[in-house]
Amino acid sequence: MTIRTRILPRASRGLLLAWFLVPLVPIVLWAASNRWSFPAALPQVWGVDGFRNVLAAGAVDAFVRSMGLALAVAAIATLLGACAAQALVRADVHFPAVVAGILFAPLALPPFAVALGLDVLVLRARIPSTVAVIMLLTVAAIPYTTYLMRAAFGAYDIGYEEEARTLGASTATILWKIRIPLLAPALSGAALLAFLVGWSDYVITLLIGGGRLITVPILVASLAAGTGNDAVVAALSLTAVLPPLVLVLLLSRLRRWRSR
Amino acid sequence: MSVELSVRGLTKMYAGQATPALSGLNLTVRPGSCTAILGPSGSGKSTALRLIAGLDAPSAGTVCVDGVDLTRSPAESRSIGMVFQRPMLFPHMSVLDNIGFSHRASGQSRRGSREQARRYLDLVHLGDIGDRAVTDISGGQAQRVALARSLAGSPRVLLLDEPFSALDPVLQTEMHDLVRELRTELDQTLVLVTHDQHEAAALADSVAVLIDGQLQHHSDIATAYTRPSTLAVNRLMGGLNEVDGHLDARGTHHSAIGALAVDGAESLGAGPAVLLLRHEMIRVSDTGVAGTVSSLRPTGFRSIADVTICGITVRVELPAGAGTRVGETVCLQIPSAARAVVRR
Repeated sequence: MTIRTRILPRASRGLLLAWFLVPLVPIVLWAASNRWSFPAALPQVWGVDGFRNVLAAGAVDAFVRSMGLALAVAAIATLLGACAAQALVRADVHFPAVVAGILFAPLALPPFAVALGLDVLVLRARIPSTVAVIMLLTVAAIPYTTYLMRAAFGAYDIGYEEEARTLGASTATILWKIRIPLLAPALSGAALLAFLVGWSDYVITLLIGGGRLITVPILVASLAAGTGNDAVVAALSLTAVLPPLVLVLLLSRLRRWRSR
Repeated sequence: MSVELSVRGLTKMYAGQATPALSGLNLTVRPGSCTAILGPSGSGKSTALRLIAGLDAPSAGTVCVDGVDLTRSPAESRSIGMVFQRPMLFPHMSVLDNIGFSHRASGQSRRGSREQARRYLDLVHLGDIGDRAVTDISGGQAQRVALARSLAGSPRVLLLDEPFSALDPVLQTEMHDLVRELRTELDQTLVLVTHDQHEAAALADSVAVLIDGQLQHHSDIATAYTRPSTLAVNRLMGGLNEVDGHLDARGTHHSAIGALAVDGAESLGAGPAVLLLRHEMIRVSDTGVAGTVSSLRPTGFRSIADVTICGITVRVELPAGAGTRVGETVCLQIPSAARAVVRR
């Protein structure tokens, strides 16, 4: 019994952790090395040249752009996803299966094909490229936010709102004091997913942004395309992990605080 | 200052259903009184309450408070409170903030609403749990908080939708005592929906019996027990005796158990009729209608005896400690107050 109840779960947890952490080890080593040539097992010269070069390559601007892009996508996609999910759950739409199919279609279509096709349309319509990138990434994020919010609305008890109405609460009061707080865990989860879509996108930003919208993934890719930039790429990749990580930690803290 | 609630022709037809869930309900609840809407599951009693509260729109009919038509007013502006079967306490608020919600909704500060809430928490005898999360209180406490929350909104009419049916019998009795106490203190016009005749009797001044969406009876509690309007009402009020027979023009019912005069039955007119006998009011005595005890069923402290009279079974509630045995011949005294007749 000890093997099944204690050792196995611990071993699988350890394996899972290793699966995520082992790939990070060479990146951490690269980021902290000034010189690391083959066949040495460890860097020959340790240092922070990688990070220094990252700053010189315009990483701060890229971070600000990525953050703005991801936050805009998170805000719009969460709002639209919540509205779509509510309409689907309450059967406010005709042919809900078709509507759901259209909303979830971006998951099935290859982003490269969509972006290439829409690139022409965006150019002809004279939509500013940043706006177009936000619009397209929002469409890409909506399947995730709709899926999450649909589950949340499905489990949501409308009785709380009815009770609030009999207590004299207006529609706005119900929205702010009842519906949003009760749906907050799902809303924050949906926003996180949409943020990640915006934060990590490469294909749509590159094709629609036309190479002028330099975000963190674009910068990483352009640096990785050259040779001898391993330390810079590693340093930039490491810092790119931080914002999503901070968000996940913040959300889990928020949930723990709420459940107390 | 308590108000009168009156509904006229209240009807609700749900899409895709052949018969209305509620059909032409007429009901007046006097200021400061409590009316119980009694009915089996699916009889339309909760529908009636939702229409009165404004949570659903009626297909026809009106809801008036003190003569003012509220049918088109939204629920939030009717000042009609409602306590549901489940407490529906807002899980993201403390007990005190739940109770103070109506004050917050009307624009008061958090501090002011909490001060008001404390008063209502004391009113339901839960003075010391205000700061707790609603997940940390028991089911009985939760229903008290729900009651306090609705009362804190100072509703003109309070609707109770089977609010105690999920509680155990001891808690139910405690809640009944509390509601009676609050009625004395607040002079509140109340409508209670229940499927339990005992609960209706414990709390209400009058009872309206809904069956299949139709109001079949409306009277004070005692009359509902002894003079039910229909067979279904009699069954719902716990009546056990239905004796088929014939009613003559003088108001006397003739059946295998004999000729029994029924007060006021002349108005029903001569013809086939069912005699209803309230089992709690029949006494085993030395004289009266003779029959044989065919079986005995304990019902807690007391028991019910099936007494067969000329092939017809009459059920009689026996007092605690009665020495009656199966096979024994007994005589039954059936007082006139225990008798009623209805058409089948």
